[in-house]
Amino acid sequence: MGRFALQRVLQGLVVIVGVTIVVFVVTRLIGDPVALMLPLEATAEERAAFAGALGLDEPIIVQFFEFVRGAVRLDFGESLWQGRPAFEIILEVLPRTVMLVLAGLGLAFVLAVPVGIFAARRPGSWVDRSLVGGSLLGLSVPQFWLGLMLILLFGVTLKWLPTSGSGTFLHLVLPALTLALPAFGRLTMMVRSSMIDELHAAYIETARAKGMPEWRTVFVHAFRNASNPVATLTGWELIRAIAGYSVVVETVFAWPGIGFMAIQAIQQQDLILLQAIVFVVAVIVVIVNLALDFVYKLIDPRIQFV
Amino acid sequence: MQKAPRTSPWRPLLLLMLVLALVATACGGDDDESTETTAAGGEADTETTTTQAAAETGGEIVIAIGSEPSTLDPHLRDDGGERAVNDNIYETLLARDSQGQLEPSLATSLPTQVDDTTWEVTIRDGVSFTNGNPLDAAAVVASFERLTGLGDESEQSGFFGSIASVEAVDDMTVRFTTDGPDPILPAKLYWLKVIDASEVAEGFDENPVGTGPYQFVSWDRGSSVVLERNPNYWGDAPAIDKVTFRFIEESGTRLSGLLSGEFDLITNLSPDDAGVAPKAESVVGLEHPIMILSTIDGPTADPKVRQAMNYAIDKQALADALYGGAAAVDQCQILSSTVFGFNPDLAPYEYDPDKARQLIAEAGAEGVTIEVVGESGRWLKDRELIEAVANYWAEVGLNPDVQIFEFGEYLNRLFDRETRAAAIFVSSSNDLLDPSRQLGTYYSPEGIGSSNQDPEMLDWVTQAAVETDTAVREDLYHQATARACDDAYFAFLLNIEDSYGTSERLVWQPRVDARLLVKEMSLGG
Repeated sequence: MGRFALQRVLQGLVVIVGVTIVVFVVTRLIGDPVALMLPLEATAEERAAFAGALGLDEPIIVQFFEFVRGAVRLDFGESLWQGRPAFEIILEVLPRTVMLVLAGLGLAFVLAVPVGIFAARRPGSWVDRSLVGGSLLGLSVPQFWLGLMLILLFGVTLKWLPTSGSGTFLHLVLPALTLALPAFGRLTMMVRSSMIDELHAAYIETARAKGMPEWRTVFVHAFRNASNPVATLTGWELIRAIAGYSVVVETVFAWPGIGFMAIQAIQQQDLILLQAIVFVVAVIVVIVNLALDFVYKLIDPRIQFV
Repeated sequence: MQKAPRTSPWRPLLLLMLVLALVATACGGDDDESTETTAAGGEADTETTTTQAAAETGGEIVIAIGSEPSTLDPHLRDDGGERAVNDNIYETLLARDSQGQLEPSLATSLPTQVDDTTWEVTIRDGVSFTNGNPLDAAAVVASFERLTGLGDESEQSGFFGSIASVEAVDDMTVRFTTDGPDPILPAKLYWLKVIDASEVAEGFDENPVGTGPYQFVSWDRGSSVVLERNPNYWGDAPAIDKVTFRFIEESGTRLSGLLSGEFDLITNLSPDDAGVAPKAESVVGLEHPIMILSTIDGPTADPKVRQAMNYAIDKQALADALYGGAAAVDQCQILSSTVFGFNPDLAPYEYDPDKARQLIAEAGAEGVTIEVVGESGRWLKDRELIEAVANYWAEVGLNPDVQIFEFGEYLNRLFDRETRAAAIFVSSSNDLLDPSRQLGTYYSPEGIGSSNQDPEMLDWVTQAAVETDTAVREDLYHQATARACDDAYFAFLLNIEDSYGTSERLVWQPRVDARLLVKEMSLGG
C-alpha cells in the first residue's frame, strides 16, 4: 500500500511537470506575448520597454526555471492584468468553483443513485424507459444552451431567480442545476446498467432465495458491487467539472470561479495568470485521481494495488 | 485598444429561446405584475424607484460591463473595465464634449501655448479630492510625477513619453514642458487622470481617491464595484445616487439581465440583439475595420487593382447585413468624423463592380491570387466581414485566398514588415481621438502595420506629429488621408458604431469617446 501510494504520487508529479511545460511553451510560442498584450497602435519603444519590464526578453529556458522556482513556493508571479499575485486571485476564485461543483455534482449524485436503481429494478418497463429517456436528454443537452434556457425561463420570464452573478444561495441555483443535469444523466445511466448486471447475478438469486429483505438485497449487496464504475464516473465528472464544464457554466452565469477567471485571463492576454490557473487545476486533477484510487480500495477491499 | 465583444456562437440559439420566452411572457398575461414585484436578485430598492415615476433625480442603477477593472488605480493599466469605473471616480484636466471636442474640466480653460514646447494650464479653484485635500497645482504635479515614476510598470507611460517636466508656476498654474513640439499634448491631458498622490501608499484598489462625481463604496472581486454620489462634487450634482458595475463576459447573459430588469445599461450590445433590448442606443464609434493593401509588391502593387478592390465592395450592404445598420461607411479614411484631422473632402469609393472589373482588366490582373490574412473572434463579426469582402473580390474576377490565423500568429504577420500579404485585415481604433498614433501605425511607411513605401506619406505623418500649428497640422493629415484614399492604400470598409442596451427608465446619450459617465445619466419615464 505504501509503495503504491508513493508510486501514484510520483506519477502525479510527472503529469504536473508535463502540463507545466506544455502550458509554458504554448503560451509563449503561439504568439509574441508582448504583441498580444499591448494595443496594436503601440510604438516599437513601448514594446521593447514592456518586454524588458516583464523579463520576456530573457531566453525561454531562463523564464521557465524562474517560473518553476516560483511555483514550488506557490509564487506564480503577478497577474499582468490585475497587477497582484496570481495565486491570490486563484485563492479568491477557487472556493467559488468548489462550491458550485460540489452543489451541482452533489445534487446529480443524490438524484442519480435512487433513480438509477429504481429504473434497474424493472428494465424495459415504461417507468424505466421514461427515466432512461430523461437521462439521455439530460446528458445530451449542451451546457451553454441549458444555462441560457434556464436563465430565460427562471430569470427573464418568471423572474424567480437572478440571471447571473454570485453571493447568495439564489445565485447558486441555476448554475448548479446547469452543471448537475448532464452529470445526472450520465450517472443515472451508469447506476442503472451496473445495477442491472448485479441484480441478475447468482448471489442476488441466492440472497432472495434465502429470504433476505429486498431493500437489503438491492441497496447493500447489489449496490456495493455496482458502485465501483459509479465511483469512477463520479470522479471523472468531478475532474471534468473543475477542469472543463466550469469554464462554460461560470461564463454563462458570470459566476466568478476559476473557469470564469481562465476566460478572463485569455481575454486579457494575461499569460502569467493563465499558466498559474492551468498549473493549479492540473494539481487538483492529480489529487482527485489519487483520492479516487483509495476510494476504490474502500469500496472493494479485494482490489490489489500493484 | 478597446476590444469589441467576441461574437458568440451561441447567439442563434439564444435568439430562438428569447423569442420563445417572449411568447411565453406574452401568453402569461396578467400574471406579469405579480411576478414583477417578487423579482429576485436583490434589486428590491431599484424596484421602488421605478414606481416613483416622477423622480428625476436620485435612484440607483446597475451597469453590466464585459470585464472586471484590472485595478482602480488609474495610472497602471488601460482596459475597458478599468476605464468604465475610473472615468467616474477620477477626472482629467481636459474632457471632451458630446461631439468629441476638447473642453476644460479640472482646468479652467484649454491649455495656453507659451512656445513650441511649453504649455500652461490653470487649475479650477475650489475643487477637492474625496478625502478633503484641495486640488491645486502642486497636487497636479504630484499626480503626474507619480505616473511617470512608475515607468514601464504603467501601461500608460507610453502616452506621456514626450513630456519632459511638469512644474507648478504658482498655486493654480501648471507648466508642461515637452522634449520637442507636441501638438497632442492637449489630447494627452484628456487622458491623464488626476489622483491624490499622497494616498498612493494606501493602495488605490481599496482606497481610490479622486475628484470625480462618484466615490468608491466597495469592490466585490469578480463580481461588482459600487460607487455613490460624491456629495462635495464641484460641478453640477449628478442625478444618480448610487451605481453598481457588474462584470459579465457573455453578451447573452448581459442581455438577459437587461431583459429581466436587473440592469439599466449593458455595453457592447450585439447588432443582432438591438431589436430585443428595451432600448438600444448607438453612437459613432472609434473602430475602423480595414484591409491593408500592399503597395510594395504582388498584384496589389498596381494602384488600379487596389482601386478595383475598393469599387468591388458594397460597404452599405455589409453595414446593414452584418451590423444591423449600426455601422457607417468609411469616408475613405480610418479616422472617425469626430477625430481631429478627419478629411471632410473625401468620399467612399462607390460600389461599382463593372468599373472594378474594367480596372482589373486594364491591369491584366484577372484571376490573380490575392492573399488575405485575417483572424477570428477578436473584433465584432470580423470573420464574417473578411469572408464577405473576399467574396466581393471574387465576384469581380480576383482569386482571394483567405487565411484565418490564431491571434498571436495573425499579429506576427500584421507586424512583419519584410513580407506583406496582399491584403491584411485589421480593426484600427483611436482612444485619444487624435490621429497621430493611428496614422503612425498604418499610414506611415515606418509604421509597423503599414504596407507602403511612400516617402511623402512619411514626411506628412512625421511632420504632423510635431507640428503645433493646428491649421498646418490638420492640412498635413488631410494630404496624408487624401493620398491613401486616391491611391487606395487600403480597402476602406466601415466605421462600427458603439452600441448599448438600456432599460426603459434610463435617460442617457452614449458618447463619441465611449466613456460611461454616470453623471450624464438619470432615471425618467
